[in-house]
Amino acid sequence: MKALPVADTATVRRSVAELARTEKRSLSLALALYVAAAVAGLAAPWLVGRIVDRVTAGATASDVDTYALVMAGCVLAQILLFRTAQNVGNKFGERANARLREDFVARTLRLPIAVVERAGTGDLATRSSVDVATVGNAVRQVVPIVLISAIQLLLVITAVFLLHPLLGLLILAGAPTSVAVARWYLRRAPQAYLAEGEASSELTESLTATAEGARTVEALRLTEERTREGTARIARQWTTRRATLALRSVFFPVVESGYALPAAAMLLAGGFFLSEGWVTLGAVVAATLYAQQSIEPIDHIMIFLEQAQRGVASLARVLGIGLVAPEPRGVASAPPGQRLTVRGARFRYAGGQDVLHGIDLEVRPGERLAIVGPSGAGKSTLARLLAGIDAPREGEVSLGGVPVTDLDPAERRRRIALVTQEHHVFIGTLRDNLAFSAPGATDDDMRGALAAVGADWYADLPDGLDTELGDGARALNPADAQQVALARLVLADPHTLILDEATAALDPTTARRTERSLGAVLQGRTVIAIAHRLYTAHDADRVAVLADGRISELGSHDELVRAGGAYAALWRSWHGDKA
Amino acid sequence: MRYLWWLVRSQWPRALRGSVVGTAWMIGLAVRPYLIARAIDDGLRTGDTRALLSWVAAIIGAGVVVAYLGIMRHRTMTFLREDATARSSQVVLRHIARLGAVLPRTVAAGEIATVAGTDISQASWALTMTGPGVGAVLAYTTAAVVLWSVDPLLAVFVLLGVPMVVLVVGPLLNRLQGVDTDYRHELGILTTRAGDIVAGLRVLAGVGGRDLFARRYAARSQSLLRRGYRVGSITSWVQALTAGIPALFLAAIVWLAARMAAEGQITVGEMVAVYGYAAVLSVPVWFLLEGGFMTVRGMVAARRIIAVLRIQPDAAADGPAPAGPAELYDPQSGLAVPTGRMIGVAAEDPADAIALADRLGRYVASEVTWGGLPIAGVDPAEVRARILVADHDSYLFPGTLRDVLRIRDGISDAQLAAAIRTASADDIVESLPGGLDAPIEGRGSNLSGGQRQRVRLAQHLLAEPDVLILVDPTSAVDSHTEARIADRLHEHRTGRTTVVLATSPLLLDRTDLVAFVRGGRVAAVGTHDELLETEPGYRALVARDAAEPETDAARGEATMTETMTTEARTAPAARR
Repeated sequence: MKALPVADTATVRRSVAELARTEKRSLSLALALYVAAAVAGLAAPWLVGRIVDRVTAGATASDVDTYALVMAGCVLAQILLFRTAQNVGNKFGERANARLREDFVARTLRLPIAVVERAGTGDLATRSSVDVATVGNAVRQVVPIVLISAIQLLLVITAVFLLHPLLGLLILAGAPTSVAVARWYLRRAPQAYLAEGEASSELTESLTATAEGARTVEALRLTEERTREGTARIARQWTTRRATLALRSVFFPVVESGYALPAAAMLLAGGFFLSEGWVTLGAVVAATLYAQQSIEPIDHIMIFLEQAQRGVASLARVLGIGLVAPEPRGVASAPPGQRLTVRGARFRYAGGQDVLHGIDLEVRPGERLAIVGPSGAGKSTLARLLAGIDAPREGEVSLGGVPVTDLDPAERRRRIALVTQEHHVFIGTLRDNLAFSAPGATDDDMRGALAAVGADWYADLPDGLDTELGDGARALNPADAQQVALARLVLADPHTLILDEATAALDPTTARRTERSLGAVLQGRTVIAIAHRLYTAHDADRVAVLADGRISELGSHDELVRAGGAYAALWRSWHGDKA
Repeated sequence: MRYLWWLVRSQWPRALRGSVVGTAWMIGLAVRPYLIARAIDDGLRTGDTRALLSWVAAIIGAGVVVAYLGIMRHRTMTFLREDATARSSQVVLRHIARLGAVLPRTVAAGEIATVAGTDISQASWALTMTGPGVGAVLAYTTAAVVLWSVDPLLAVFVLLGVPMVVLVVGPLLNRLQGVDTDYRHELGILTTRAGDIVAGLRVLAGVGGRDLFARRYAARSQSLLRRGYRVGSITSWVQALTAGIPALFLAAIVWLAARMAAEGQITVGEMVAVYGYAAVLSVPVWFLLEGGFMTVRGMVAARRIIAVLRIQPDAAADGPAPAGPAELYDPQSGLAVPTGRMIGVAAEDPADAIALADRLGRYVASEVTWGGLPIAGVDPAEVRARILVADHDSYLFPGTLRDVLRIRDGISDAQLAAAIRTASADDIVESLPGGLDAPIEGRGSNLSGGQRQRVRLAQHLLAEPDVLILVDPTSAVDSHTEARIADRLHEHRTGRTTVVLATSPLLLDRTDLVAFVRGGRVAAVGTHDELLETEPGYRALVARDAAEPETDAARGEATMTETMTTEARTAPAARR
């Protein structure tokens, strides 16, 4: 397992900077509007301060009215400005998000399949769901709130500064403790919240598994076992949530205790300044109200800092996909011939030993070649080399004289297709599930392909090709799903097919039925079949026996049976002949 | 509602503490404006330094107390919710763990995922009402008294005004959530699409079509973007108004209070305090409003939890089981399973084999008798303990390979090794990193088809039931392995009853007796060799003799295709 890379800080910073550059106009517009809105929001305390001054100076009630009107006007202006700012900011966030997720999917689709397999699809699946969502949430909600709060805070401080510079400094009275405890918290929080999230999804998974496997729970009497397992998960969820609570139990009270400090500082210093005659009572009142007003933005920043931090971590994982070199474009032009040749091919998986020890094999165009051998002999590895998914460490696999890995991947897939027992029905209509293998295919082509593989269930679908499949819609059983996979092949029309135990996961009857559908697909193509059901070998033109990473026997079925070697033994045992 | 009440009742001291602390905290919030007002009136305006100092000290002290009360409230409420979550999870867990085969027939697994992932926590959040909910009412009353002492007119204006503002803003905020929910739903679909692409990457690598998928995803993403714009334009209004309307109200209060101050009815400090109270008063009202939403959502969630809890296990019978190993007999097919032997069942139609297994295992109502007793009347626990149907759908739970295999306590390492050997699974143990301690993912998704099948077989052998019914136990393994399993299986199950439903000659050859089922009835019984000799139909079904006249096999297959087709036609209907 070789994990997928995670982007480093510099890469993340670069990509954020690039985003800011391309969105320069809407970003600066949003910022300007936020600032204007925040300035309008500052009017209220200032006006209260002025009112205090006028009232102490002995103003009448009607004098006050003007100030009240101005205040209402400011609030209205704030509403309008804030709304426009939010709208611009929202749009920016949406665009950034869309770009991020589309880039991610596009890059994922360009990943060399060998890299994906080595890393396991689990990691990629998490990045595509959890991380993209976390970044999206951060961009849509956390970033705006933190941004607005920062602007508001900055302006509140500026406002107090304008009332009196020294007061402006003192409003930061609570800052040192807040910053210290925030640092303490942020060092621990991501880990703790990650653990909490994991524990929750593990519990959900455990309960879902118990539900999905309910029949097995009954059959194998696993009730207690599953209850014990689930209880352990519940306990773990409880523990992880207590851990985050413990962090909050330090963080929140310290920060909140600090909230009283700015107001206290304003009053104390204000009292002194007032006695010295440096400021008016109104200014002190205004500064105190500003101090109170600074609490909300600080609060927001504190609450969302943790999420913002998680957003950055997820962004690093999302961008990490871009660090993998994409599947190379082809360097060679389309090959003239169809002859697939293997010369002295050796191969090992990363960190392992050689699985193939010098394979020489020539596949004749149009022939049916069966590859048999015990499990672990390297059959699937050979199939992957032939399909160009992996390149041999030594030696060469070539098509019409051109190394298969030098071909453009799309070009290569049009010529050689690898069919495994893995089949995947994509979410979408039946048409969606077929069309991607042959972009130009018409509906008639698709119906023809389904008929060719014997997918007669197609006629019973409520909406024909438009029937929705997968994820909550109609689920296909394994045999039908495999037929869809085969119909894709008919449409793709490659000249060479490599079948790697394409029917092994099916029950015997279904497998036989599917193999029959396969017959239609194989018509007129070069076929390399790996199978443990020896029907396939019997019907093949030639059989290659693979043992311990070497081809030990090669010839027609009859020849090999006559030769009395490993294949003959295999054939006898498959028949149930007593040796 | 009863369910939520149960969650509260089972931890009432904590709920009570939540109410007390919640009330104290909210009242505490109102203290700061009051203290600031006093500091202005007594300290600043009169220039009394000592008074100013003591009021400022009080402000700082009150700040610490409120912070303490705040965290106590948060802690108490978190414990209250977590306790409820754990309790609900436990109840649901116990229930679904004992329901068994009924569950998949009644609800989709996705439903359980929703209950576990969302509903349980939503039900818990509703409990927030108990603490701060009660606190909010009390805090509001306290504020009313304090305001009244300042000025009755102002009090009336503030006390009625705040809830009204909240009532106007509340639905707006609710709308915000509604709009956002839709968007999130769409976003969720898009996420699923991305996951779908990831899951299908290997298919795309094999057949091609990556560009098409990238384009299709981008198109959907762009349509979500446009939707996001629309949502954004609504939400930005809502956000601006939710902040703006209270600010307007505050301005109105300042205006009223300022006029009163100008006319000398109240002091300047009191005027500032009123401004502060009005701002603080929104806290309890918000809590009530939000608490209301949460309760409504919690009740919906509770209803879904209850729906799962109401599912009843199969009608319980409590009749006695035969004392010792006893013969199973299925009148519908005419199959008699002799005790202590291994019988092979080769069914022409695989659907017959599966139906037979379901009948023998008492998964469906049937006339099957066990030692002469109708099996329907036997205590289900007894049936499960002694008869095991091992089928392809058997679920592999995640855990280490050892965990997966040790399906009951008291399995010794020797037994484990023996079962692994019989299932010819030694190479799996060897090839996995960590051997028996290697992690197996749910459904055994990190194993190949053949490996999964052998792990299941070992697991089923370790259950050591009186009667073991194996459905196609070797369909996904190569013939060498199949032959090994066939040999060892008989030895492993010596003296106990085993039914092997299969068409593999290797397996059937190693059984004591084979029943050939055609058209749902037992057509012939004999040893594998006898049946090969005497039953051409049997020979056509099981012999892997490709040299046999193709026509014969082809004819057999043709009928099979027909049955498969009708099955395919009826299956979706049955699934619905």
